[in-house]
Amino acid sequence: MTIASFVVKNALRNRRRALLTVISVAISCGLLVTLLTLQRELTIPPESEAASLRIIARNKVSLAQPLPSKQLSIIEKIPGVVAVSPFTYFGGNFREETVTSFAQFAVDPVRFKNLIVEGRIADGNYDDFIADRTSCFVGADTMKRYGLKIGDRMRFSGTFYPVDLDLKIAAVFQGTVDDRGVFFHHKLLDELMGNPGTVGTWYIRVASAEISNDVIAKVNDAFANTSAEVRAETERAFQMGFISMLGNVKLLIGSVSTVVVFTLMLVTVSTMSMAVRERFRELAVLKALGFRRRELFSFILAESFGLALVGGALGIFGAWALWTGIDLQKLTNGFLLYFEVTPRIMATGGVVAVFLGIFSSISPSIAVARLSVVQGLKTLD
Amino acid sequence: MAAEPIVVIRELTKSYLQGDLNVTALNGVSLDIQPGEFVVLMGPSGSGKSTLLHIIAGIDRPTSGSAMIQGINIANLNESQLADWRNQNVGFVFQSFNLIPVLTAAENVELPLLLTDLSSAERRKQVATALELVGLADRGHHRPDQMSGGQQQRVAIARALVTDPALIVADEPTGNLDAKSAGDVLAILQSLSRDAGKTVIMVTHDPKSAAYGSRSLHLEKGEITA
Repeated sequence: MTIASFVVKNALRNRRRALLTVISVAISCGLLVTLLTLQRELTIPPESEAASLRIIARNKVSLAQPLPSKQLSIIEKIPGVVAVSPFTYFGGNFREETVTSFAQFAVDPVRFKNLIVEGRIADGNYDDFIADRTSCFVGADTMKRYGLKIGDRMRFSGTFYPVDLDLKIAAVFQGTVDDRGVFFHHKLLDELMGNPGTVGTWYIRVASAEISNDVIAKVNDAFANTSAEVRAETERAFQMGFISMLGNVKLLIGSVSTVVVFTLMLVTVSTMSMAVRERFRELAVLKALGFRRRELFSFILAESFGLALVGGALGIFGAWALWTGIDLQKLTNGFLLYFEVTPRIMATGGVVAVFLGIFSSISPSIAVARLSVVQGLKTLD
Repeated sequence: MAAEPIVVIRELTKSYLQGDLNVTALNGVSLDIQPGEFVVLMGPSGSGKSTLLHIIAGIDRPTSGSAMIQGINIANLNESQLADWRNQNVGFVFQSFNLIPVLTAAENVELPLLLTDLSSAERRKQVATALELVGLADRGHHRPDQMSGGQQQRVAIARALVTDPALIVADEPTGNLDAKSAGDVLAILQSLSRDAGKTVIMVTHDPKSAAYGSRSLHLEKGEITA
């Protein structure tokens, strides 16, 4: 016999309780990992290397305020700017949907080609998109989800704009961090809206990430003290601005996660306390035989640690297997795009399980440290 | 020349609070026990015999007085030193056997050896010897619930012996046994004292059990009366 086998035998002496403890820790850790993954999904937008080269300039007053089209010629002359295109969010509903999970943007097709460098054409021809101002350029995920093919038509009813779109699919892209969007000619939107001479935002590509801050400052300065001052920021900062509109999601999910961990703690502390309490006399015997406090503490710690770790591992890897195996994008109608259980999230779950193992052994260990051998032995006669 | 006593108790007092009452369990007890003696402590309930046994075994501390065991005043040892001392010098036999139910007989006997530097093979050898001494060489793989009370108590004696301690303390070891099993257990304890030179101190209420000892001491109201 070894100390380790002694600990294992003790941990499994009440198999039903050990199993229930492991299951409760597994479910709670799985839930925690799920919540952290959800938090990540909602608060950290997809990011690519190329995104660090892109800047979005919007009206300084608010995103809802348009910018004059004539700003284009000024922006493209700013040193460091490689490409720039109007980038106007249409926000239409596809078919009969009341909420459409993919965005539609009006762009300049020729200029836009130089902005999206990380994707590739999966089907059709980009030149066909350029040539036909009623056509669109669609992400592969959206094509697959709706069973679309080149030449099909996509009809959108406007929600922000009082116009509807009827677009023909000319090309399909994939390989970007979000292969869902639909891009169409800004000229079409201009015509439908009566050529107002405005754009939603400017999408700018800079020569290198190192100069992006410099370019942002120059873009802002270029329109300072005009009737349409702009606020330029990196693509990521722009996306984070959108997320902040969701409210404090991070706090909400963080609060729920804390409650989960706290409940989990109560369950394991209670289980370990019961397990130790019913063994008081045995622990007193061990003390009489010469086992010291620190050895008994090690036994209790190893036991609670083992149960928490097994439960934690089951929960964490269970959540990973579940969310990796399920097509959440399809299940949630595109609301959840990646739902990736990252190594960092799994490590966080592991740290919580380790913390639980340690924390749940503290109270029983104190009880055992205080236990006098004579008092402990009296409980048996 | 007489050997040095293994146990030297002088003016030992133990008192404790029971609710608001200050109870004196031992009142100025003095006692010498020679190596190899089989001393039986008798007396009515509450006479202090178990308290005296606990102090000699180092699982309780006196309020005053000294308890020198093998020349060491165990009252001066700290918690950790006392635990080591118990492991090396004292073997315990309890009324309720107190075996760990999830361990086999051999594993129960091996428990005190886990605190030593012995290798696994050496431990197994000592366990086998101890089980053989109590006549249970073939029951090592049985769990306590697969054994009779008498067999369980013999396993407990093997556990007490396995570290080769000089002192074996037994607190009413036959209290839960039938007459036949009690006789077997007492015979083993007697043999340990007589043949192996172990000092055995046993608490009992039973005069028949006391007959196995080499000396009987009677306690009453915390004092040795005879």
